[in-house]
Amino acid sequence: MGFYGWFGKTLRVNLSTGIITEEIIDPQVLADWIGGRGLGARIVAGEVPADCNPLGKENKLVFATGPLTGAGVPGAGRFSASAKSPLTGTILDSNAGGRWGIRLKQSGYDVLVIEGASTVPVYLTIADGKTALHEAGELWGDDVGETNDKLIDKLGKDVSIACIGPAGENLVKFASVMNDGYRALGRGGLGAVMGAKKLKAITVQGSQKVEVANAEKLNFMVYEAGKWLKANPITSLGLPEFGTPVLVNLFNELGVFPTRNFQDSQYPDAVNISGEAIAKTMTIGRKGCHGCPVQCTRLIKTKTGNTVGPEYESIWALGPECGIGDLEAIVKANHLCNRLGLDTVSTGVTIGCAMELKEKGILKTGPAFGDSAGLLQVIKQIAYREGDGNLLAEGSRCLAEECGAGQYAMQVKGLELTAYDPRGLQGMGLGFATSNRGGCHLRAYMAGPEALGVPKMVDRFSTGGKAGLVITQQNISAAMDSLIVCRFVNLAVSEEYFARILSAVTGVEYQNQDLHRTGERIWNLERLYNLQAGFDSFHDTLPPRLLEEPVREGPSGGRVVELKPMLDEYYRFRGWNESGVPTPGKLRVLGLEEFKC
Amino acid sequence: MLKDFQTFGRDLFLAGLNSSHSGNLSVRCGDRIIITRRGAMLGHLEERDIIETGLDKNDSNIVLASTEIRVHRAIYKGTAALAIVHAHPVHATALSLLEDEIIPLDSEGAYLLHKIPVLGAEHTIGSQELEEKLPGLLKEYKIVMVRGHGSFAIGQLLEEAYQWTSSLENICRIIYITRTLKGEVKDKRSAKYKEW
Repeated sequence: MGFYGWFGKTLRVNLSTGIITEEIIDPQVLADWIGGRGLGARIVAGEVPADCNPLGKENKLVFATGPLTGAGVPGAGRFSASAKSPLTGTILDSNAGGRWGIRLKQSGYDVLVIEGASTVPVYLTIADGKTALHEAGELWGDDVGETNDKLIDKLGKDVSIACIGPAGENLVKFASVMNDGYRALGRGGLGAVMGAKKLKAITVQGSQKVEVANAEKLNFMVYEAGKWLKANPITSLGLPEFGTPVLVNLFNELGVFPTRNFQDSQYPDAVNISGEAIAKTMTIGRKGCHGCPVQCTRLIKTKTGNTVGPEYESIWALGPECGIGDLEAIVKANHLCNRLGLDTVSTGVTIGCAMELKEKGILKTGPAFGDSAGLLQVIKQIAYREGDGNLLAEGSRCLAEECGAGQYAMQVKGLELTAYDPRGLQGMGLGFATSNRGGCHLRAYMAGPEALGVPKMVDRFSTGGKAGLVITQQNISAAMDSLIVCRFVNLAVSEEYFARILSAVTGVEYQNQDLHRTGERIWNLERLYNLQAGFDSFHDTLPPRLLEEPVREGPSGGRVVELKPMLDEYYRFRGWNESGVPTPGKLRVLGLEEFKC
Repeated sequence: MLKDFQTFGRDLFLAGLNSSHSGNLSVRCGDRIIITRRGAMLGHLEERDIIETGLDKNDSNIVLASTEIRVHRAIYKGTAALAIVHAHPVHATALSLLEDEIIPLDSEGAYLLHKIPVLGAEHTIGSQELEEKLPGLLKEYKIVMVRGHGSFAIGQLLEEAYQWTSSLENICRIIYITRTLKGEVKDKRSAKYKEW
């Protein structure tokens, strides 16, 4: 098998020894695991002990592109990073757009593995096959913007930079890796993994062309996919004009927009922080990933300068989740998180948890709900681990447990939940509970069928049939995260198109069902890793509030998540035993016997 | 309003003018459009399937609106229509693949619609080309066939647009049956509608 789509090469950098090596990737491994999250999971599961300290030398940071990265496919300019998460202890992957992934690919590598740890701060440069480590003493302590400015001054404007800010340096458990300035590998603390390795930044430059097996077929499929992107109002009207904040009013009206640490599910002033409000008062332009027609990033003006607009999740986490409806303050908090290298979701939800603990008299200090000045102050304290920020930097689970009030942490497996109250979206509840990286909506975007009618509208309050839908979404999401394709593009263009696109790019024949099977293989491998790391069915649950406290009022009023029946069905459908362990038969079918517990 | 959408949506489906998930309906209310949800089943419309958004301006509901929202907007802006029915009538769609215009053979069809233009376009779903060309045709005709795709009918009320859609399919069924009989058509009145 030739290497179309892939270069078939891994770059391995050992920060303990300074040794840099290249490896050829087995073509069958590429065909089976595709790229991105799939390759990342395989490398982490094979090389990183499940019981290791995520901030120790044994953890590895795996950056992976996909076969479509750089091949001119809309929405496929992404890359992913995988490791064992310092926030959750589970296997973790996160992916981001921008240009960094394309440039890594164009430098001739599909995968970059960072292992060991340096004793002094360093940064890594990769440029068309030339790789070097450099001392980063003068960058250490700089925020993301300063780091970018200095490296661009040194290396030129055609460089893409992935770096950490002070939060990563200070091992904040939910520190992000920021690339191309404002793009984020946000969730799960990959920035802390980089910080623990004393790796401040990775710069990539490249000019190599990705070879495509069947350009004619690819062009036709891209043309066909483009029709859907133009026709679908989500990708042709909603996202280009409003970005993801288009969801604020929609989900608030459905009563699934969590507020004040999930105490309520509607925010009275949501309209003032909505996509429409931002478009009307702040938006000055838009941009997006290289080659993507959707261009969903907002450029906005504020009283203190221009910046990128916050995404839906960030507006929510730094706004209503903390009882804050001041749009300027939310934008400022988002900007601050980006500069400091913090995951906006975990930052907001952890602060929201602290606010409720204060409201209940459990914590004596810190900001109260609605205190936007306090929010900005505590964000800085978290990044620098100052005062109360030192405990908050461990995440909501640790914070609440330290206070003897673990029930107030809105998290699953240690990862803070996102902007969807699952009491009004039952399938989303099951998706959160069973997510391999913890409380994440993107593993199975059940808001699609339960609220947006993608692919079809289902009864959001019903539990019937949700297990099957969640499994299908989890599997296909794992596959799409391996190609790697933007979730928004995938809202308009279904996986059958991407199976054909993948075939055209790689020359390996994939059918729609192959993507589902690949996704299932990835999902089960991640599950096996988590089982070895100490996670089992006990951890497939939700915060007690969502299981026991009915929504007080509104369109989802009186609802809790009916998790148990969905979960039982989920395990059976997955081919797992009642403890949530994949059966030997399932592992055999998926070719995962070598990884079994 | 919901009742009207349910009535005509169901009738369109039961009459075979749409398949399970095809077609869409809308009405104009000032500077707002009320339109069926993207992917809604017209035979089983519920409250959640009726989406209100702007005639000119987008808002968050745009992500739920029918894929044909652009075309509906363009038609409202370019005509006096207050209601639109988009359907996929089988015989009319088949005939549109062969003809550049559909001339009714039957009296009622000729009386009501005279002639139905057929518009060909490279992209026919949520298409900018249709956005540009359909309003002009619908200034002159009550209903237009998009080749190989379906019909767009306008009216002051949903019932009116539904009637043109139903009539069009009836016209085309009669043409189809007449052609299969292979005899000479004795009544030549329809020829004059070529110049309509």
